[in-house]
Amino acid sequence: MRGLLSAALLLPVVLPGQVARDTTPPDRVFGVTEWQLARQKLEAEMTPDGFTVYIIADMEGLAGAVRNATEMRPEYRGGEPAHERFREELTDEVNAVIAGARAGGATQFVVNDGHGGTLFRNVLPDRLDPEALLIRGYPKPIVMSTGLNPMVDGLMIVGAHANAGSPGIIAHNFAFDSFTVNGVALNEAGIAAFIGGEMGVPFLLASGDDVLTAETAAMLGPIETVTVKTAFSGSAAAVLPPARVHRMLHDAAERAVRRARAGELKPLTFAAPYRVRLCLRRGYARDEWVRTTVGTFGGMTPDGAEGCFAMTTSSAEAVGNVLNEIEWTVLKP
Amino acid sequence: MTRSFRWAWLLLVLVGVVAVLPAQQSDAQRARTAAFRAKAVPFEPGFRVFLVPDMEGMGSTVDSREVLAGNEGAAYRDRSSPDYWERYRGLLTEEVNATIAGARSAGAASFVVNEGHGGNLFANVLPWDLDTAAILVRGFPKPLVMTTGIDSTFGTLMFTGAHANAGSAGVMAHTYAFDRFTVNGMVLNEVGINALIAGEMGVSVSLVSGDDVLIAETREMLGDGFVGIVTKRAVGRAAAITYSPAKVRAMLREGAAEAVRRERAGQIPPFTLQKPYRVELTMRRSYPQEMIDGVAALSEFSLERTGDRTFVLVTDSAREMGYLLDAIESVVIR
Repeated sequence: MRGLLSAALLLPVVLPGQVARDTTPPDRVFGVTEWQLARQKLEAEMTPDGFTVYIIADMEGLAGAVRNATEMRPEYRGGEPAHERFREELTDEVNAVIAGARAGGATQFVVNDGHGGTLFRNVLPDRLDPEALLIRGYPKPIVMSTGLNPMVDGLMIVGAHANAGSPGIIAHNFAFDSFTVNGVALNEAGIAAFIGGEMGVPFLLASGDDVLTAETAAMLGPIETVTVKTAFSGSAAAVLPPARVHRMLHDAAERAVRRARAGELKPLTFAAPYRVRLCLRRGYARDEWVRTTVGTFGGMTPDGAEGCFAMTTSSAEAVGNVLNEIEWTVLKP
Repeated sequence: MTRSFRWAWLLLVLVGVVAVLPAQQSDAQRARTAAFRAKAVPFEPGFRVFLVPDMEGMGSTVDSREVLAGNEGAAYRDRSSPDYWERYRGLLTEEVNATIAGARSAGAASFVVNEGHGGNLFANVLPWDLDTAAILVRGFPKPLVMTTGIDSTFGTLMFTGAHANAGSAGVMAHTYAFDRFTVNGMVLNEVGINALIAGEMGVSVSLVSGDDVLIAETREMLGDGFVGIVTKRAVGRAAAITYSPAKVRAMLREGAAEAVRRERAGQIPPFTLQKPYRVELTMRRSYPQEMIDGVAALSEFSLERTGDRTFVLVTDSAREMGYLLDAIESVVIR
């Protein structure tokens, strides 16, 4: 079961018919109250004063990382010892961002572990900046935007990967081959920016390979970006020295917070109601049970090709919740 | 490029379950390939060193189990010794650091290290232990394999840990996926092939380290310009008289400094051959027919088949020859 979860999480692999399906409706796991409760609980941990940074920690875009099979998941789920070293790198990069943001005037730090390799338990708690709140474990409401609320002053993503179908290192986008809002394609950073943007939270910084930084700047405008490597294929890159990357992240995070405090960085907003269109990854789209289940989610209607759906809603958080239900559906054996 | 001589085993296992590379790429794939080929390593000012570390010719290694991670495919799982590989990748990283330190002492300012060894799919150097000035090219596939990212901004090309040519009496001797590789009738080893690609960009080879067989054969190809460092003396395909790793590192430090001095004094001409190049390659005897057919089906290149396992490419571009190498690697690694 764990092995299957791992494969499904990181690669477009579906192994139907091997294990009896868990057909618990996703909304029983992720009801509306769940994500609202998560938000209330995080708010209760936060102080309203000062400047709060919410950092999503992913791994494919870390300095040095190029290979999914060996570096992105632990040994017990088919990976290799190298993954442990990348967990340290992940934590060091997050710490560099926190230190830089602090130098720029940030006072509160929320880190959301956004990488599925160890089921969202990749950041090393004892190595992380002691002032940070760390959201870890899975499942959790709205995956990469758990607990996001208007008290957050800026969103950042570290170690991010480029969008599904792009020529980036280990490029993908949740369970989708494509995801658009009002016709605009969004990657994982873009989806978080969309959910945060509705609450007035601007997106400040993204780090990853050259493809990720270029596409994210195109989606979100003049945010701070840190290009840590140049992709030469989906699994090869010219990587900058980790120590240099840490300095770059520190400086970019400092600039990002200063610019946000000066009001230079605006939230990403779309005209409501939002028309969301998504196409499941080909492997998932071919799986009738996944297709049928996703089709039952509130507001989803089949749209065009097999495995493509559209929904119209006026709540970005509701979109985040559906996204979470889809994630849960495809990860179930 | 270590494991080529073992790929046959992998293929024997995989044939029947894995199709060979499709002959026709889609437009999207072609666009993506073109985008990857057009990319450059980030520019840095000052004298630039492009360093290609391999493992078969480094200090101390003699057995392929020492240079394989065991994750290169199902066939390698029992044909490697990961505990040894882990140790040697540390030594590899130290060799690279020693080379960089030597080059720096002679005035080099920018360093790009391109993984030349296929173990762990071109990810052997330890990024966190590498000299903190170096940009590292790691992973697979990559457009020009061993020279991915090189361009005319580099002042020199260095090879450490290189191995001797296929069919020679060197330690773990091989040449990519070939029994024989010639350009205009001249037999080239991996150093020679990549020297030609770099030579077309005006970049010359200043340092080569490896066993005595490798150094002698490379002298025949490239002449006396480069600094040659004998890291071990081959006494068999998997046996050698070796020196202490510390001694090898000291030789690399001094050799790299001398290499940069020679380059900066303009003493080493780039390696060039007459155009058009007639590239003739013979796939390994050990490869199954499916793999040969996979190479024959590479429609991007105007390959002429001149024998059962022999192909000829006539081209004015050594870079195109490099792309062909990457395409063939992708056929045989699958």
